Amino acid sequence: MSLQGSELASSLDGRAIETHGLTKRFGSLTAVDHIELSVRKGEIYGFLGPNGAGKSTAIRMLSTLLAPTSGTAKVDGYDVVRQANEVRKRIGLVSEKMIMYPRLTALENMMFFGSLYGMDRDKLRKRAEELIEMVKLTPFKDKLVGGFSSGMKQRVNVIRAILHDPAILFLDEPTTGLDPQSTQFVRDLVKELKQRGHTIVLTTHIMEEADELSDRVCIIDHAKIKAVETPQGLKDRYNTSSLLEVFLELTGRELRDSANERMPMRTPMGRM
Amino acid sequence: MEETLTWKLALGIARRDLLDLWRARMLLFFFILFPLLLMGMFGYIYPQIPKSNPTTGSISTPYPNIPVSLIQMDDGKAAYAVAAQFIQISGQQGLFAVSESASYQAARDQLIQGNVKGIILIPEGFSDALAAGQPATVEVTVDETNPTLGSILQSEISAVFSIIGSSMSTQSIQRMAGDGVNPSFVMQPISVTGVPLISGVASSFQFLAPGFMALTVITGSLQGVATAIAREKEQGTMDGLLVSPIPHRSIIFGKVMAQTVRGLIQGFLILGLSMLVFGVQIYGSPIIMVVVMLLGTASFVGVGIIMTAIAPDQETAQMMTMILQFPMMFISGILFPIDQLPTWMQLIGKAMPLYYAADALRKVMILNATLTAIMPDVLILIIYTFLTMTAAIPLFERAMRR
Repeated sequence: MSLQGSELASSLDGRAIETHGLTKRFGSLTAVDHIELSVRKGEIYGFLGPNGAGKSTAIRMLSTLLAPTSGTAKVDGYDVVRQANEVRKRIGLVSEKMIMYPRLTALENMMFFGSLYGMDRDKLRKRAEELIEMVKLTPFKDKLVGGFSSGMKQRVNVIRAILHDPAILFLDEPTTGLDPQSTQFVRDLVKELKQRGHTIVLTTHIMEEADELSDRVCIIDHAKIKAVETPQGLKDRYNTSSLLEVFLELTGRELRDSANERMPMRTPMGRM
Repeated sequence: MEETLTWKLALGIARRDLLDLWRARMLLFFFILFPLLLMGMFGYIYPQIPKSNPTTGSISTPYPNIPVSLIQMDDGKAAYAVAAQFIQISGQQGLFAVSESASYQAARDQLIQGNVKGIILIPEGFSDALAAGQPATVEVTVDETNPTLGSILQSEISAVFSIIGSSMSTQSIQRMAGDGVNPSFVMQPISVTGVPLISGVASSFQFLAPGFMALTVITGSLQGVATAIAREKEQGTMDGLLVSPIPHRSIIFGKVMAQTVRGLIQGFLILGLSMLVFGVQIYGSPIIMVVVMLLGTASFVGVGIIMTAIAPDQETAQMMTMILQFPMMFISGILFPIDQLPTWMQLIGKAMPLYYAADALRKVMILNATLTAIMPDVLILIIYTFLTMTAAIPLFERAMRR
């Protein structure tokens, strides 16, 4: 197997994600405006910003769910538009809405989503059971997930995303709405996944979480990047001990109340 | 190889969808109830025509023992004889439950209260007219708030009196002309006998059942695919499918397969009910029936996919399919033959694939038509499949990443 030039380059410089002028417009609204991202392999990349800053739109473009208006994005060396399927094989997604069928059991959900990656049934089953064990849900593996608590659902949701052992994992607010125990469990899980070699792009509104988990953070506001640095570096620069202070300094303290005339539908299909 | 994989993945998606239905017990209950209700309801409310045979004097009725009032205003012998004969025939054939009333006013009150459905009045001078060799008249009033029952009642009452009348004319003719003349030749020189295309009786259910089967399969899959995809979009699981490296066609095919199976199950529930309760018989091949239903689904499911691509949410998708589905039910010849519609409506009706699917299914079920015999219908359905699918698949794939 020979590596093509671009793949070779990306594997050499160790970039998991690289974008150039990545832009998404919805009608007159520019949700993501010429952003340049560079995520290193194996790091936890905190992707922060106020509501409506463009985080989710950017993640949807990087995970091939949304076509960019302009610019390019490479994920693990593959172009998200031209080589979308290669990208899909290498990424896992935990998005705002949980990706699971309430009327399937935990194991059935894992088996169904695993089958989409063409995994061998026996291997898939073994891996699914291992992951279920890892998040301590083995006693519940044959129960319908519809009856699970939010914390249990989110644990299933996270392991569902790493079934096929993706190089890059997108976690969009994985701890939102969880109780403190589940929140801590998910945070520990994120660290564990980094140990296992996954590159993780993490969005969150909880600054202490971003501070605790991220190797570097990227703060985005009004569709543009404001800063990319290690949490410590940012705190030093602004001479404070809290990342929240830095965040408010960079993005301002006013509330972000804005409404589009036409409600933007962030579903992959049918924006009307 | 890649095609096999596409279908294998589609099969997995279809299996999951059906498992979902199986586990949603309440949904499953209504899923089964719906076609039974549809067929049962329309089966019973569909207007049925009583069949009478004046020569043998038999009348078959869809509504036995309708309560009627009989008012005798004439004292003559002939009037009593006719009334007695009327009560006797009604009783024998189980047509009416006759009660006698003293006055028209009293009978009218009974009718308004709903205790009787019709009034038969033998007026004064009835016997005199007959004795004088003049035709006599019976006055009939029916409950006009129920036109269907009213018209059936009217025609049944007429039929009974025509039986009474024809026995009277037979006597008169024999009296006048003697034994050398056949009275029926004098009364009705030409008679018409119906020869059925297929032995057995074609009832209106025989017409309704195939239509409802085609309707259920086609609209079921149309609406099912649109709402299933819209629901997955809304609940977020569609992202899970789209972020995986499966061909988008697998998603479409999977959804279509699951909904087709659902449609077929409902279609055969309708058939089962029709056979058990309404005496519908199948004269053709069940395999060709399935082929026709599958083709019917394929011909129109693309429209459902196009709607999903356009609709922003589940509710809109549902509304859009409803708007398409509702007129289709009335102008595609499901409830009544399309020939009684104005020409422009007929043209719209004939632009719907449902028309051809129902037509083909009817021919197979009732007339035992072979695949060759229904080839024009089949070809049109194939053309529809091709047209809608070529439009739907690229539109869906593009809409996915908008």
